[in-house]
Amino acid sequence: MTLSIQQITPVFAGEVSGVDITQPLSRYDAAAIEEGMDRYAVLVFRDQHLTDDAQRAFTRNFGTLEASPGGHIATAAERRLPLDMQDASNLDKDQKPLARDDRRRMFNLGNRLWHSDSSYRAVPAKYSLLSGRVVVERGGRTEFADMRTAYDALDDATKSEIEDLVCEHSLMFSRGTLGFTEVSEAERAMFRPVRQRLVRTHPVTGRKSLFLSAHAGGIVDWPVPETRAFLRDLVEHATQPEFVYSHKWRQWDLVMWDNRQTMHRVTRFDETLVRDMRRTTVAGDAMTVAQAA
Amino acid sequence: MALSIRPIHAEFAGEVSGVDITRPTTREEVMAIEAGMDRYAVLVFRDQQLTDEQQITFTLNFGELEHTRGNAITRPAEMRLDPAFADVSNLDKNDQPLARDSRRRLYALGNRLWHSDSSFRAVPATYSLLSGRIVVDKGGDTEFADMRAAYDALDDATKAEVEELICEHSLMFSRGQLGFTEFSPDEREAMRPVRQSLVRMHPVTGRKSLFLAAHIGAIVGWPVPEARAFIRDLMEHATQPQFVYAHKWRQHDLVMWDNRQVMHRVRRFDDTNVRDVRRTTVGGTETTVAQAA
Repeated sequence: MTLSIQQITPVFAGEVSGVDITQPLSRYDAAAIEEGMDRYAVLVFRDQHLTDDAQRAFTRNFGTLEASPGGHIATAAERRLPLDMQDASNLDKDQKPLARDDRRRMFNLGNRLWHSDSSYRAVPAKYSLLSGRVVVERGGRTEFADMRTAYDALDDATKSEIEDLVCEHSLMFSRGTLGFTEVSEAERAMFRPVRQRLVRTHPVTGRKSLFLSAHAGGIVDWPVPETRAFLRDLVEHATQPEFVYSHKWRQWDLVMWDNRQTMHRVTRFDETLVRDMRRTTVAGDAMTVAQAA
Repeated sequence: MALSIRPIHAEFAGEVSGVDITRPTTREEVMAIEAGMDRYAVLVFRDQQLTDEQQITFTLNFGELEHTRGNAITRPAEMRLDPAFADVSNLDKNDQPLARDSRRRLYALGNRLWHSDSSFRAVPATYSLLSGRIVVDKGGDTEFADMRAAYDALDDATKAEVEELICEHSLMFSRGQLGFTEFSPDEREAMRPVRQSLVRMHPVTGRKSLFLAAHIGAIVGWPVPEARAFIRDLMEHATQPQFVYAHKWRQHDLVMWDNRQVMHRVRRFDDTNVRDVRRTTVGGTETTVAQAA
């Protein structure tokens, strides 16, 4: 049984077969997956009955696990999963769906906006790996947009306009977009904006891509409303249907994406139903730009 | 020379020929235009060298003028045009482009978001008439989206879900989306939210449409972030390319639209160039829903 990858859309995303990722991976398979990530940016593995530990072990093939606080308002006591596993479910600690007006649920709604994971960290994430433990029938898709193709499709004037722009990213910006604006002083400190280049270059392939995210709320030296209007235009451009793969979940899918080359979002679903999704994240290893002093 | 209307899009929008709207129009012409508005929702008249007085006269064929005083942030002393007009130009009182960081310019960037004129008034507008006195070559298109076709294309579950929903509209919400959040107490009072049905029915044709606008900030009875995420989804649905007509301006175009049936927005342009477009607005005659006490 050898690993192979079938491309899913005309521009990106691949479905991987011929590998059991619940078991230790051969060096050869790990390299093939990493090459697949460079090329397809999103990989889908079907029927992978992962435990949390097996998911961690698989993730470590590609780098260090991101396990730092700063990504959510849930307190340590409220968390259902340890810090090295991001909880993308709609559940509380007792495995019950969060109440409609629960503050954590309101915060999680930010995932309905197109974003790149951890773009609000000075060193943003490399890969995210999302395991579908309990999935919903209707809605709740994860959609991906290819930021390389989106960059390539810009006209030359726009490419040169944005080449050196630097954006400010914060969880407060994405949440603010949805009118979630009440944060404590401690949360505000945790969500302090970081800087990211708007155009980034992939370290292996050398391809340029748009580093967009709902977390982006400012462009350095631009008036805020002009920034926001411009970023909205770019996001609209970058998420045209031809650049998008919409993943319909089956239980035990693992979907893995490169945050340096894609944005993603979840689509609406009936949140009175259980949707248990668990994410591990491979930390990045470099900033895209120097941070403000 | 008889008035005729040629469709310019598969769903809506028509180009009118055979009428000179700078001169008094006949009853038959007015009726034909009104019937055209019911059907096409957007009408384009080319080569109409209107003076302000002629634009007002033409507008009065379709109802009362909506006066704009007191509802934007521009003080009367700063106004370039008679209060019968909404000044949609990028100019100050001396016909110079507003400075990049001018508060008025940043406020006006809200027009880059999809909206329906005066949806923030308890009695929203019927028609808007926009005359292109000086237009720009690149960008600055006005785009229109057909809210009837968008409504028709919803699935049955969504139609049932939205049928009775009531939204809160305010200029503060659309500006807030762009991070324009500083308002004086007087402005805040003038921009107090009003309520509008999310689904409205055209009084003549009986067709239903989605009453969406960037001015929406809440749905009555819903948590704010959930309302915002849902409205964004509806907006994305309603502004898909098949529902959109993009108007590329020629000087002395007059474009007229029915705010009860379409949304519109302006696209980005180099606003160091002069773009002098002047809007008259026909006031509505009724609320879409009872206002909060």
